[in-house]
Amino acid sequence: MIRDLKRVRNIGISAHIDSGKTTLSERILFYTQRIHKINEVRGKDGVGAVMDSMELERERGITIASAATYCEWKKHNINLIDTPGHVDFTVEVERSLRVLDGVVLILCSVAGVQSQSITVDQQMKRYEVPCIAFVNKCDRSGANPLKVAGQLKTKLGHNSVMMQLPIGLEDKHEGVIDLVAMKAYYFEGENGEHVTVKEIPEDLLNAARDARDELIDAASLFSEALTDAILEESDISEELVKTAVRTGVMTRQLTPVFLGSAYKNKAIQPLLDAVIDYLPSPLDIHNEAIDLDNNEESVALESDFDKPTVALAFKLEDGQYGQLTYLRVYQGCIAKGDTLVNSRDGKKVKAGRLIRMHASQMEEVEEIPAGHIGAMFGIDCASGDTFVTPTINYSMLAMHVMDPVISLSIVPKDNKAQINMSKALNRFTKEDPTFKTYVDHETGETIIQGMGELHLEVYVERMKREYKAEVTTGAPRVAYRETITQKALFNYTHKKQTGGAGQFGRVAGFVEPCDEDFEFVNKITGGRIPTQYIPACEKGFAGCMEKGPKLEFPVTGVRVTIDDGAFHAVDSSEMAFQAAARGAFLEGYMKAKPVIKEPIMKVVIETPNEFQGSCMGLINQRRGIIQGSQEEGVMSVIESQVPLSEMFGFSTVLRSATQGKAQFTMEFSSYKQVPQSIAEEIIKQKQEEKKA
Amino acid sequence: MLRKDLNLRSPIEKIMGIDNIAQSRFGAVLSRAGVGKTRFLVQIALTQLLDDKKIIHVSLDDSMGKINLRYNEGFTNLVDSIGYVDPQKAVRLWDDISLNKVGISYNDLTFDTDKLRDYLKSFKKAELPMPALMVIDGLNFDDDLTDILEKLQALNQEFAISIWFAMQTHRDEAPSEDGCPVQLETRKDMFDKALFLKPMDSRIQAVVLKDGSKTDQAFVLDPATMMLVEETV
Repeated sequence: MIRDLKRVRNIGISAHIDSGKTTLSERILFYTQRIHKINEVRGKDGVGAVMDSMELERERGITIASAATYCEWKKHNINLIDTPGHVDFTVEVERSLRVLDGVVLILCSVAGVQSQSITVDQQMKRYEVPCIAFVNKCDRSGANPLKVAGQLKTKLGHNSVMMQLPIGLEDKHEGVIDLVAMKAYYFEGENGEHVTVKEIPEDLLNAARDARDELIDAASLFSEALTDAILEESDISEELVKTAVRTGVMTRQLTPVFLGSAYKNKAIQPLLDAVIDYLPSPLDIHNEAIDLDNNEESVALESDFDKPTVALAFKLEDGQYGQLTYLRVYQGCIAKGDTLVNSRDGKKVKAGRLIRMHASQMEEVEEIPAGHIGAMFGIDCASGDTFVTPTINYSMLAMHVMDPVISLSIVPKDNKAQINMSKALNRFTKEDPTFKTYVDHETGETIIQGMGELHLEVYVERMKREYKAEVTTGAPRVAYRETITQKALFNYTHKKQTGGAGQFGRVAGFVEPCDEDFEFVNKITGGRIPTQYIPACEKGFAGCMEKGPKLEFPVTGVRVTIDDGAFHAVDSSEMAFQAAARGAFLEGYMKAKPVIKEPIMKVVIETPNEFQGSCMGLINQRRGIIQGSQEEGVMSVIESQVPLSEMFGFSTVLRSATQGKAQFTMEFSSYKQVPQSIAEEIIKQKQEEKKA
Repeated sequence: MLRKDLNLRSPIEKIMGIDNIAQSRFGAVLSRAGVGKTRFLVQIALTQLLDDKKIIHVSLDDSMGKINLRYNEGFTNLVDSIGYVDPQKAVRLWDDISLNKVGISYNDLTFDTDKLRDYLKSFKKAELPMPALMVIDGLNFDDDLTDILEKLQALNQEFAISIWFAMQTHRDEAPSEDGCPVQLETRKDMFDKALFLKPMDSRIQAVVLKDGSKTDQAFVLDPATMMLVEETV
């Protein structure tokens, strides 16, 4: 692996579903000579794109897991992460962004900035990842890359600037004009591998000059030298413009826009040049960890190979030789045989086989130095774990992970399936922090939880295909919550005298609604409850939050304040106060008008204009609230908020209402109170379940 | 309580009466470009939202985001006009009422009343409360709009939804004898309520052109907030 980190790029490719991410990744691998034949994502050859390593992904034409791969371009080492485009899998996108230094944001030249581009953009902002944009599909009918660049400004708030102009669009798309070099690039040969540089066609010269002026104007904000050159009217070198644009990209204040068509093999090579010219190397990025031995203080990490090692496991895969752990090394170097410590559990591990990945093929390496992405075999860990040299105890900052909103019961078909199912669940929960599983003690069923119907569906399919675990699934269940709506007092005495030492504890105070999940406030004065029993009280109250007294859903948004109580010198104990707290919670909770809350999803539908009215109707019929609708060319975007419980089977309904021409994305928005009529239905259902 | 207080402060209550607004068939706010038609229409719609009714705001000029921004700004102006309001209460109220507002942004070439009909029908189908008011901003009343207005009249009757329009007038066009701009004059019978906004020094004068007994009354508005400054008869 290259040790000169200036020549390393760790980049991701992020975009809306069906924008051509996988096709673009495939072309990059072809031009960098990592593969020697191009396969289409849903190709007739039945092979599928190399980046989609899972069988299921090939079949569905979607990218589920991030396949990491590396390639070389003009003596630079590019580590490439292909990220999933569907919202249900955004944890994958987030995990990828965590370890990346830069992103190529792909936009469709016809559909422009779509709903998920907005989600992905927010994630890039959260992790402060610099980006360049690539407007793909310029060969498509209705392609308008300039409009898309405008949408980057208006919809995403990017300071976008065109770096290229198209030479012809739609079926006449031939190549691009480079506005820095002021040359025309054409892509010839069977796979566009021969780049021909020519003069700019006469009819496009004026447009190119205007666009270059705009580019230089935008770039000049990031370079005094460029501003001076403009004022002095001296020659502006390519290097000067590139340096200015690079500074703009690094500070996330400028987004250069490139264009082309991955499918038609147009303008991928200039995009690779742009990755090298404008996206940061590991040396340009400031990374931090927290020092667990020093009050969790932030520590800056340096891409120095001789310093203690800090590496983050960001993805796990089950390969034929055991668990494959993808790592990003931030500091130091992992070499074969090194001893590392997993800072989550303190366990020591020995680095065995080290590899770097090329989708499903692997290449063995001796070391993974700082700044690189690689993978390690034979280590048992969870995604998000930090590996460090034994002399330090650092952890990379926790990743933002949401709670699951939907659950499904699964029952294995036979004994063999039962064993395989537990293996699969064990793997999936390690791989994906938003996928959770537990056994319902009352029904004995195994429950899986996730971020959406499709999310769980894909895992059930993977169980079947990869682990040969046939399972039957129950109806999806929504993760309801309980909360209180008003303040209520409690005053509960726990007293038991059944021979031997008795139990005594009195707890008084009040419960009230709050924004946090649970808050405990101690206002006991004068030793009415001795200090040593206060943690027991808190534990007693906190324990009640897991299963609400109303319908046994988890309780959230409750602040418990205790301000009075009593104890007995002999009979009081921690156990007695825990029991008193439980009784007190029950007493206060039922008086505080408890209600049920349900997950509300942000649903964005993109539909041809003619179906706008009927799509809005579909939302209305599902207790949804339409926030707005916007026409964009031939398509309308409808933004709405809909309860998750109403969204089951929505894709089928939407398809039939729009002749299959509309698509939608869905992500968790918030928890809201369930209307009375629905609450009554839930209560009834719950009672019937109990009887059964 | 806050809802009621805010509606009492609304310029619409003083000028036309809030109950009166939703009882109309067609209403129009007229003015030259840039005087504040849309902002005034937003104030009209806000009175209905505060009255716990649903509204639809259709714009042929503004994006969905801009429509939302206009409502947020209108609500803030209304809250500020009261003096001190608990910010948390105001935010909660905004969260509540904004759920009843649907902003629809059309391209003026593809504006189609059939899509609105489909949408309104779905309320009936799902047995949901119908929107009380629809604002349509951006129609060019210099064009022949007979067909569109007739279809909208049909919607008004079928779904009992009052429809308010922004109607742009021009500086160089002389009004009719009774002071009515030409854009309204030719369609006067279709509208039962109309209000004309005209700049007056550093203020805006709102003149009721048509509204039963209120006709010809005039009011003065602050151009920054569209709140009532004083009443002039």
